[in-house]
Amino acid sequence: MMVALKQARRTEQHTPATARSGPSSRRAGPERFSPRELGGLGFLLPFLAAYALFMLYPVFQAAVMSFFDWDFLDITRREWIGLSNYRRMFWGTEMTWTAGRMLPLRLIGLALLIPVVLAWRRGAVSRVAAISLGVGIVVLFGAVLGIHPGEGGRWYDSQFWLSFGNTLLFVVMSTPLIVGVGLALALAVNRPSRITGLLRAMFFAPYVLSVAVLTLIWAFMLNPSLGLVGVVGDWFGAQPINVLNSTTWAMPAIVVATMWWTVGFNLVLFLAGLQDIDRQQYEAASIDGAGPWQTFRHITIPGLRPTIRLVVVLQVIYSFQIFGQVFIMTRGGPDGATRVLIQHVFERGFRDFQLGYASAMSIFLFFVIIVVSVIQFLFLRGGEDEA
Amino acid sequence: MSAPTTQDQPATQDRAMTDDQPVTRSRRARFVRKHLPTALLLVLAIIWLIPLWWMFSLSLTPNEILQRDTSNLLPPEVTFENFLSVFQVGLSGRWFLNSLIVASSTTLLTLTVSSMAGYAFARLRFPGKKILFPVVIAGLMVPQEVMFIPLFLIFETLGLHNTHPGLFLPRVGVPLGVFIMTTFFAAIPGEIEEAAQIDGASRWRIFRQIMLPMAMPAMTALAIFTFVLTWNDYLWPLVSATEREMFTITTGLASLQGNFAQATELGALMARGVLASLPLLLLFMIFQRQLIRGISLGSGGK
Repeated sequence: MMVALKQARRTEQHTPATARSGPSSRRAGPERFSPRELGGLGFLLPFLAAYALFMLYPVFQAAVMSFFDWDFLDITRREWIGLSNYRRMFWGTEMTWTAGRMLPLRLIGLALLIPVVLAWRRGAVSRVAAISLGVGIVVLFGAVLGIHPGEGGRWYDSQFWLSFGNTLLFVVMSTPLIVGVGLALALAVNRPSRITGLLRAMFFAPYVLSVAVLTLIWAFMLNPSLGLVGVVGDWFGAQPINVLNSTTWAMPAIVVATMWWTVGFNLVLFLAGLQDIDRQQYEAASIDGAGPWQTFRHITIPGLRPTIRLVVVLQVIYSFQIFGQVFIMTRGGPDGATRVLIQHVFERGFRDFQLGYASAMSIFLFFVIIVVSVIQFLFLRGGEDEA
Repeated sequence: MSAPTTQDQPATQDRAMTDDQPVTRSRRARFVRKHLPTALLLVLAIIWLIPLWWMFSLSLTPNEILQRDTSNLLPPEVTFENFLSVFQVGLSGRWFLNSLIVASSTTLLTLTVSSMAGYAFARLRFPGKKILFPVVIAGLMVPQEVMFIPLFLIFETLGLHNTHPGLFLPRVGVPLGVFIMTTFFAAIPGEIEEAAQIDGASRWRIFRQIMLPMAMPAMTALAIFTFVLTWNDYLWPLVSATEREMFTITTGLASLQGNFAQATELGALMARGVLASLPLLLLFMIFQRQLIRGISLGSGGK
């Protein structure tokens, strides 16, 4: 979607040029419009009305509500409480700081400094971006993640951390898998053969199913006594286990089901990207005697870079929004092992009617998505310049 | 892409120089080498679709058989009873109708509103354009999860929960269609419009009679894409339509799941799954190219 924004900006730069050559503008000065031109606004009004009412207003309202105690049922309980909702999300009692808390994760996080420095040295990201990212990494992984409730203390809402952690886990597991499999399938399917269209259609088909059909199929597929997965496992002598009831396997199972469902989307984007690569480059490479691997490494991958960037960013955004699969298949169980952030938002908002608190969490998710997308853009853009 | 064709070259030379027998062998080897990857892929694609196929198979199997064995990929006995029960028992027929109404209304409204706005942004000059366009396009980045709580309150105030408009109106404000249509209209050369202008046609007539017909490919792509997304929408119907009669087939089907221990009605449940996916699978088969184009256009890929 960021790409869309970027492309839109490009289109916008386009439009004044076409408008100038078009009949409507007689170059009457920058700020004067004929009645006929003012009438052009009429074309826009229906959409603008819907957009303002169902999009702009709700986003601002969500931000405002996040500072309120906003009970849906009790109208008297709607008061400004400042940052209390955010405090409830992020804070707890008896908070302390420990250097060793979540050490492996924090060390991995701090190691992210290396690619940042490398990208800066290569000139792929600007100095300001590199420094702010570096500071961000040090503050987040070096300091902030060391904060936790001390002895006798607890998080105000430990479920929030659980759900957010699971959402991150889903993002980390699903993104490489769904992007990687999509790319592999696209490379395999993209061959000079009449059957390409059929293969593409077959791999894409699950994408048009609704989430309720996906869960219907996969909950039964994975059912230890009824499902086909059990039957196949039986051939290999595996004991049937109730995958969706296992704290270890429930999340991987949901990731696999999600991959089956949505990988066709990435496949389509990758195929379009592959077909955009100039054929002459391949011909030149084969004349130069390049092998398949060299061709792949030096022509396919660089040519595909914009598509890879697009797919990764979109995939991360979609993965952060995971909800339906989990909510229908496991209700967030077993033991909260698959509980994700949107489920938490949904339940706080529409089961407990704490709309203010739920809004604060949705705003937080929005913020995370934006930050992650911007960072991805900074980094993946660097690769493109190199190509 | 080029790898198989380059390998062909030496083989052709071989054939010219050697006698008959090795020729057939090398030709066979070549045939295998050329088609084996495709064949393997085809097998993989068939395996890929087995879960979907299984749902269809179960939906056609009598429930008595399903109580003993659910692992058949072909129904041992074919029955349509499960499908009859869909319309006789429960609300699935109603849910299906709700989905049809909601998805069609959303699609129609989105097409109307987006094509007009896209035309305005791409071809017209009007005050505030430079500010409005980025503001509209920025909306592409907002996930619906951010808006659904205030939206819920708005529709509560309007008294539109558990109604069809309550289900289809919110999606009309999504700027994806405007983005697609703006990109499309901006690419149309200006001469056509100019000619009509000289003939004294009004803006509205130019739009209706010249621009819209030209935009049919983009409109079809947008229509299919919108229909699929709306049909499959889960979060908003879950929040807005809480009365069982107003469920869509997606939320309705979801509400029937969760108790898998009792497989007595398995066939009927699978039949409902088939019903929920059939319109989309049909649309997909007919309009495959447009849907895929819609995806490429919508994500800014092309």
